[in-house]
Amino acid sequence: MNQAAPQNMPSSAKLIQLMGTVSLVCGLLIVSTHQATLAPIRANQETIMRQTVAELLPGANKQITYGVDGSGNLTVLQGVDAPGPKLFAGYDASGKLIGVVLEGADRGYADVIRAMYSYSLEKQAIIGFKVTELKETPGLGDKIVTDPKFLANFKELDASLKNRIVTVKSGTKKNKWEIDAISGATISSRAVGRLIDKSAKEMIPIIQRNRQRIEGGN
Amino acid sequence: MAHAHGNAPSPSESMEAFLNGLWKQNPVFVQVLGMCPTLAVTNSARNAAAMGLATIFVLVCSNTLISLVRKLVQKQVRIATYILIIATFVTMVDYIIKAVSVDVYKALGPFIALIVVNCIILGRAEAFASKNSVGKSILDGLGMGLGFAIALFCLGGVREILGAGTLFGVSLFGPNFQPWVLFLLPSGGFFTLAGWLLIFTWWKERKKRMAEAQQ
Amino acid sequence: MSAPSLTPEIVLHTSPHLHSARSVGVIMRNVVYAMLPICLYGVYNFGISVVALLVVSTLSCVLTEHMFCRAAGRPSSIKDSSVIITGILLGLTLPPGFPLWMAAVGGFVAVGLGKMLFGGLGFNVFNPALVGRAFLQAAFPTAITTYTPALANGRFAEFIPTTLTFPFAQPPVITEWIARVRIDAFSGATPLTALKFDKIGTGLTPLFWGNVAGSAGETSVILILLGGLYLVARNFMDWRITAAMLLSAFVLSGVFHLSNPAAYPHPLFMLFSGGLMLGAVFMATDMVGSPVTPLGVWIYGGVMGALTILIRLLGGLPEGVMYAILIGNAVSPMIDNLTQPRVYGTQRKTGARA
Repeated sequence: MNQAAPQNMPSSAKLIQLMGTVSLVCGLLIVSTHQATLAPIRANQETIMRQTVAELLPGANKQITYGVDGSGNLTVLQGVDAPGPKLFAGYDASGKLIGVVLEGADRGYADVIRAMYSYSLEKQAIIGFKVTELKETPGLGDKIVTDPKFLANFKELDASLKNRIVTVKSGTKKNKWEIDAISGATISSRAVGRLIDKSAKEMIPIIQRNRQRIEGGN
Repeated sequence: MAHAHGNAPSPSESMEAFLNGLWKQNPVFVQVLGMCPTLAVTNSARNAAAMGLATIFVLVCSNTLISLVRKLVQKQVRIATYILIIATFVTMVDYIIKAVSVDVYKALGPFIALIVVNCIILGRAEAFASKNSVGKSILDGLGMGLGFAIALFCLGGVREILGAGTLFGVSLFGPNFQPWVLFLLPSGGFFTLAGWLLIFTWWKERKKRMAEAQQ
Repeated sequence: MSAPSLTPEIVLHTSPHLHSARSVGVIMRNVVYAMLPICLYGVYNFGISVVALLVVSTLSCVLTEHMFCRAAGRPSSIKDSSVIITGILLGLTLPPGFPLWMAAVGGFVAVGLGKMLFGGLGFNVFNPALVGRAFLQAAFPTAITTYTPALANGRFAEFIPTTLTFPFAQPPVITEWIARVRIDAFSGATPLTALKFDKIGTGLTPLFWGNVAGSAGETSVILILLGGLYLVARNFMDWRITAAMLLSAFVLSGVFHLSNPAAYPHPLFMLFSGGLMLGAVFMATDMVGSPVTPLGVWIYGGVMGALTILIRLLGGLPEGVMYAILIGNAVSPMIDNLTQPRVYGTQRKTGARA
């Protein structure tokens, strides 16, 4: 230590040098961890996405992820972490299109509920539904994940868009485009209706327009 | 802690550094530090264990590195240096958890990043690692980290058993059990913590009284 | 070891030094008398399940207080009857078919957490019965929102199936049972729930007399008012709190109603439905939790009435009286502080507060 600053005050250069060295070491540590974990993180996300799509479209061996741009055109995506709306098309072993999985979100009781649902072009109907993010009250709002009667709504929910998809009071479902609410979890049930309606209105016309391309799988 | 110049610590001293955090100076039950993760992520035993492990990792690593560089760091920039080192290990944990399990990552959410501001970690860096040898600092980090993890597990276990009737996802009482939803909600964290503190205080008072009676 | 005594032997305080013979016990016994007709009507309305519910919640409260006093090495304070009121009030605010084991848990939490841990009667910050109910609402949200229809068939011959749920087990689903015993199309939804989630209104006449679904003792407006009048007439209750709470609820819901009559119900419906009347008469007026200054009492009531309406109309829950009163209890020391009257002969300094 050869500086003559009073009260042992080290020079700024010395402090900067120290911080710089520590930063360099820290930076190296972070970058190497990032590099090492990049592949497993990506693989994890893709596995989860594939599992969800396979669950919503039973029998889908092959999957293609499409990104949707602002003007409704499709591009084939490789990973799953690209931003923006996406479609997940599922095909059976012979390469025939089974259906398309879509994402939706709307405000529930506690926070935004995110969900994925599958759409069959053939039946013009929603044929599967799964909540992917939920912070509703345990025991009440989370029934939308577990209640078998509620999930039965999505075996074949009319999505021809001639009628608005809507949640109705528990036990009063009369039409194929209505969702029977869970009594005691009305707010969460309604959010599910809204999130499907909103997303279906936006995405299904795009799917119809690009039908040939999706069926061809390119 | 007079050993500022890293003489080889005696075994009893090392043991004390380790046991202090585990029990006598338990960060949650005695020092009541790091309440944010304690209350926020202990709604299941698995989340609590994951948070505990992440904290142990950060605490041991940051204690080690800080102890290594303790003679180089000038006191004017020590807090900045410590935070830089702590943040580095937290970022690493963040990546590692994401790579190991997306479910755990989703459950812990923003609280992984918030380990940076967990006062236990900066507290140990400032109070212990910056003044003690590497060996003792590692033991201190291990003891404090384990003490924290055990406390989180005590909370998470009780909350999961009462709130869902399960432990680590395994059903304990069969499907007919009525879950006490309250314990999964944030307020349940306060109730459970209060319960444990009550037990600890009562036990300590009792011990004190018994010691007094013997004299 | 000597525990610090909470009842010192020598009491030194300012005037008044003369007290009437009106002990805590006398007041409390009169409150119990005022609640008896409400209990009886609850039994008439919902059947024998309510008898069991009231007995269990009261016993649980009394036993808890006794146990805590024993554990602290103090003489038991159950004789002053205040704990009996807590037990009855807790029972009256629960759904008629509420599982008995949950009611017992509620009683334990009400008295243990809401009263004894603070130091017993006079030291509790919150109304103990409501602390118990708030705990139950958070712990068992499904059970506490499962209501059964009023005047059901065979209500004096059999219990509501959920009442006798085995301890720590889930109550059974009673949709089919309700369909079997109901006398009209009512599914057991309370007037407020029916309005909030299904947009179905309820007439004012049944609300006034009380033959509607709801918690065991909250349905009959007329009996609650009569009980309140009895207490006011005997000077056991501060009528200004009740008046302020009802008035502010009426005015605020009136403003909402006038701004959009289609979306917001008539203010009289708001006054007569749910637990507002029971809360305003028997819970908000709890002497321990309310302010003592004349102006503070009005503010306190006004805050609680307004909060009730805001939670009901803008919040996610159909009913808000419980939380409104608990918040009122929490701010009551602050209200007291802000409304200290000027001492005669002194001048109020600007900006200075007592």
